[in-house]
Amino acid sequence: MAQAPSKRPSKVILLIAVFAGLLVGLLRSRLQHQAWQLPELRHVWLVVVAFIPQLLIFYLPGWRDQIPESAVSAGLVTSQLGLLVFCLLNWKYNGILVLAGGLALNLFVIVVNGGFMPLSTETAAQLMSQRFLDTLKVGSPLGAGSKDILLAPQQIIFPWLADRFVIPAGFLYRFAFSIGDVFIGLGAFLLLSLQPNYLERQRSRC
Amino acid sequence: MKNAFVQFGVALPKIQKRHIQLLLVLLALALLVLGAAAPYGPGPI
Repeated sequence: MAQAPSKRPSKVILLIAVFAGLLVGLLRSRLQHQAWQLPELRHVWLVVVAFIPQLLIFYLPGWRDQIPESAVSAGLVTSQLGLLVFCLLNWKYNGILVLAGGLALNLFVIVVNGGFMPLSTETAAQLMSQRFLDTLKVGSPLGAGSKDILLAPQQIIFPWLADRFVIPAGFLYRFAFSIGDVFIGLGAFLLLSLQPNYLERQRSRC
Repeated sequence: MKNAFVQFGVALPKIQKRHIQLLLVLLALALLVLGAAAPYGPGPI
C-alpha cells in the first residue's frame, strides 16, 4: 500500500463548517438579543460507538496494517450506517436531513464501489505529482489514513458521487471532495447556525 | 505562575452544565462530520 504524505488536514477541514456554524449561530442569537440554544441531540452515544471502527482504522497509527482490506471496508460501511441511523433519529433538527443526505450519498457510492470512496486517476493527477502518482497502484486504497481507493475513471460506478471536485489552484491546501461531503459540511453548518432561539422563546411564552 | 493557578481556581466553579453540554455536542458533531465525510488530500503540493 502506497503511503501518501499528510492526509489529516483534508478530514479536519470539514470541521471548519462546524465552527463556522457555531459562530454564526452565536452571532445571530446575539443580534436578536437572545440566548443561543444547544441542539438537544438524542442518542449521542451512537455517534461515539459508530465512530470507533473509523478511529481504529483511519486515525490510530499501526492498526490498519494489521486488518485485512475487506474488514477495513466493512468497518467503514458499518460505521457510516451507524452515523446515518443517528441522523435519522434526530431528523427534526435543522440541517440534519441535509447532513444525512450527504452521508447517504457517500455511503451509497462507497458501497457500490467495493467499500471505499473512489478517486479517479484523473482527479488524483490534479492533486499530486506524476512521480508520486506512478508509485500508487490502481485498485488499491490510498494510504493508511484514507477512505479512498484509486480507480481508473471508467471503473467508477456513479462517478458524480465520487471524490471528483478539487479545490481550485492557488489555495494553500488542495483536496478532492464529493458532493456528499458538501452536503455534510452544509448540514453541520445549518444545524448550529439555524438553532430556533426565537421560536423556542415564543413557544415558552404560549 | 502562581497567579495563573489562582485564576484557574477562580474560573473553575464558573464552568456550568451548559458549557459541558456544548463541548459534548461539538465533540459529537465533529465525530459525525469526520466519520461521514470522505475527502482526500495528499498535502500541500
